[in-house]
Amino acid sequence: MSVPISSRVTEEALQHCADEPIAVPGAVQPHGVLLAVTEPDLAVVSASGNAAEVFGAAVLGRTLADLLGPADLAALRDGLAGDLADVNPLRQTVAGEPVDLVLHRRDGLLIGEWEPVAGAEQAPAAWHARLPAVLGRLAQSATVDELTTALARDVRALTGFDRVMVYRFDPEWNGEVVAETRRDDLEPFLGLHYPASDIPAQARELYTRNWLRLIPDARYTPVPLDPPVNPLTGGPLDLSQSVLRSVSPVHLEYLATMGVVASMSVSLVDRGRLWGLISCHGYSGPHRPSYTDRTAAEFLGRTASLLLRTAQEAGDRDRTVEVAQQQARLVAAIGRAPRRPATALVHGGTTVLDLVPAGGAAVRLDGRLHLLGTTPPPERVPELVGALLAAGSPVTDRVPRALPAAGDLADTASGVLAVEVGGGRGDFLAWFRPETLRTVTWGGDPRTTELVEDDGRVRLSPRRSFAAWSETVRGTAEPWRPYEVAAARDLAASLAAGRLDRAEEDDRLAAALQRTLLLESPPDIPGLTLAARYVPSARDVVGGDWYDVVLLPSGRVAVVLGDVAGHGLSAASVTAHLRHALRAGLLRDLGPAAALAALNDLVARLLPGELATAVVAELDPRTGEVAVASAGHVPVLRVGPDGAGWLEVARGPALGLLDEAGFREGRATLSAADRLLLCSDGLLERRGADLADGLEALRAAGAAAGALPAQDLVDRVLAVLDPPDADDVTVVGIALSPAPPPA
Amino acid sequence: MSFDVQHTALREIPVLLVTGELDLLTAPRLAEEVDRALAARPSLLALDLSGTTFLDSSGARQIARSARVAGRSGAVVQVVCPPENHPVRLVFELLSMDSLVAVLPSTDLLGRDCRP
Repeated sequence: MSVPISSRVTEEALQHCADEPIAVPGAVQPHGVLLAVTEPDLAVVSASGNAAEVFGAAVLGRTLADLLGPADLAALRDGLAGDLADVNPLRQTVAGEPVDLVLHRRDGLLIGEWEPVAGAEQAPAAWHARLPAVLGRLAQSATVDELTTALARDVRALTGFDRVMVYRFDPEWNGEVVAETRRDDLEPFLGLHYPASDIPAQARELYTRNWLRLIPDARYTPVPLDPPVNPLTGGPLDLSQSVLRSVSPVHLEYLATMGVVASMSVSLVDRGRLWGLISCHGYSGPHRPSYTDRTAAEFLGRTASLLLRTAQEAGDRDRTVEVAQQQARLVAAIGRAPRRPATALVHGGTTVLDLVPAGGAAVRLDGRLHLLGTTPPPERVPELVGALLAAGSPVTDRVPRALPAAGDLADTASGVLAVEVGGGRGDFLAWFRPETLRTVTWGGDPRTTELVEDDGRVRLSPRRSFAAWSETVRGTAEPWRPYEVAAARDLAASLAAGRLDRAEEDDRLAAALQRTLLLESPPDIPGLTLAARYVPSARDVVGGDWYDVVLLPSGRVAVVLGDVAGHGLSAASVTAHLRHALRAGLLRDLGPAAALAALNDLVARLLPGELATAVVAELDPRTGEVAVASAGHVPVLRVGPDGAGWLEVARGPALGLLDEAGFREGRATLSAADRLLLCSDGLLERRGADLADGLEALRAAGAAAGALPAQDLVDRVLAVLDPPDADDVTVVGIALSPAPPPA
Repeated sequence: MSFDVQHTALREIPVLLVTGELDLLTAPRLAEEVDRALAARPSLLALDLSGTTFLDSSGARQIARSARVAGRSGAVVQVVCPPENHPVRLVFELLSMDSLVAVLPSTDLLGRDCRP
């Protein structure tokens, strides 16, 4: 694999940086003296190069008994008997000057660090008196914002640095300045982001163990340890807990480029993980808070660390409650308008966009897409959501990574939270978040890390330019919180449940209606044999077909077959209307054409926009005479012993097409061997096939059926034509009874 | 073939090219597109069904409704359907749709036959 040169070099430099022995630098900062001694003889086995100067004599090979005054030595020996944390610092006098001695043990050695009191800054005494109030303020912070803001303010009041910031790390260790107090003339850093490489992994690891670092003067010359090894281990002397530890030259360069002269940082650790840092900068010159004040700052950091979890959870809880309230409002709105859930979600006082913070939202219900806010273009939304659902990443804050094909939508949809609305119709709810890092200000460009040659090795040098500039990190959005995802899923579940209820209710109503429309079995009419089959469609429980048999005052019998356009509850209710109206019209006994004309009148006046077809055959069982009228319906087939053919009928327009329509009747006389077949177009319609072919297939099936009785004929044509179950199908067969009653 | 409605124009007459199957499921789409076309207040709106492969009664109902809606806003709807498009043509004939809207064999005749 070929790796570009530049990336190889950077990796090497970063690796070197990560390898840098920051815990064992072999040197200390010059503002104090470090002696490593063995116990109990207190013999010096390693010393910083400035020790002889401070103690007035060479120190290696001597013991602390030789170097310290009797009182100081006694105090030291007392302290060593107990917990060192309780004695630090020990105020001593070295060469006539007061110094603070800080002790710790490491790898079998006692490490002592003497720091002159002169030159250290002291917080006003009043500050320590206010400590209870300071701690109270931290503890009362309701949110992380409040907590970190109070922390920055108090640490600055305590230590007197020019700028105190609170940094927060994201999951990838990029840092963001979340709180800041500073000298008024300084440029604000609040909101700046820093790349993860600014604080390498081994530094973060060290910061988790050692809570405070101080560099009083970043321009210092390191003071080497002599010898830099621990004679007990043979390895380098471990300074990870040392307060004088010399820091990485990379870090010093970093500070120099920022114009920082003095620097201090305190770790913020949440449940064992480095959460962030309190970072203090001094610009005007060396600055060294006293050991006591540093301890107080560390104490504030540790206190805040313990409060972080509570504050974060409190913030989350507030937002969770807010989201839950919005969700409840939306569910209530759907409940008030169960048949128009999309309207409730999109046009209500509270919309889906109010559920969670997002730039835009999409609602697709019953195949119709509604958009709110800033979203990808409507033609791309279903495709984007569908692809994310299919890819198994319906909740993502990195759309371009989850779905490279949607990379061009990163502007409006770097983050997508999508939930399906059950029902198998491809319906969904979705929320979109824009690319947030577009608007983020980075402290320095994380992509242009400079490299310098140092001792022939490639080294990393922090950026020279710290003028904040905007970085476009494509395709990353604010992450979706678990309670936001849960609220979205709950809302979708409410929608699906409501829809299921509604669908069941509709089906029940429509089925009940249709039961009233379809005769259980054709009535027993003397002189006539009637056969009927109704096959419901698979797609909908209820279609718009109906048939009817009406015994007229004249003794004739009207057989009706009709078909209302559409499906479901609305079609069923129109069908009920038409069936009863046509019955009434037929009973006036003015013939089928007049009845259909009256029915068309009714549709035009009472059911505008509906369309239906119907055919009426009036038979006289005594004579075999038949009169047929049709409103746009498929023709009537006459099946005789010699074949099958369409009954000649002058067809009229479908019902509802015209405000006024006239119909004409066709007449024929049936013989005892003739049968008539009436059917709905569901028997004939085929996608991609001609209706004419369907009609011809029906005629051929009738002709081939020969002399079958009516019921067998009906079953035969159904079997032969085998209609698809997309539409409902009705077939009615009529024949004169073998033994007509006497006239 | 998936259903689609495209807005075009011919001699400044707005024409909706209706392709695919016009049925119960797709008729609402046609309704929307007709509404959108009528928003420009044309005096004539053509529905070109040359590319329509299937028409059921719900599709026909929608065409009838569209013609009525257009009529209320002073517009006339004409349908273009060549005789060789049997599946659609036969449904029109069966329902006597030509009693409500002019059904023209080609776009050449658009606007030249305004009989209802």
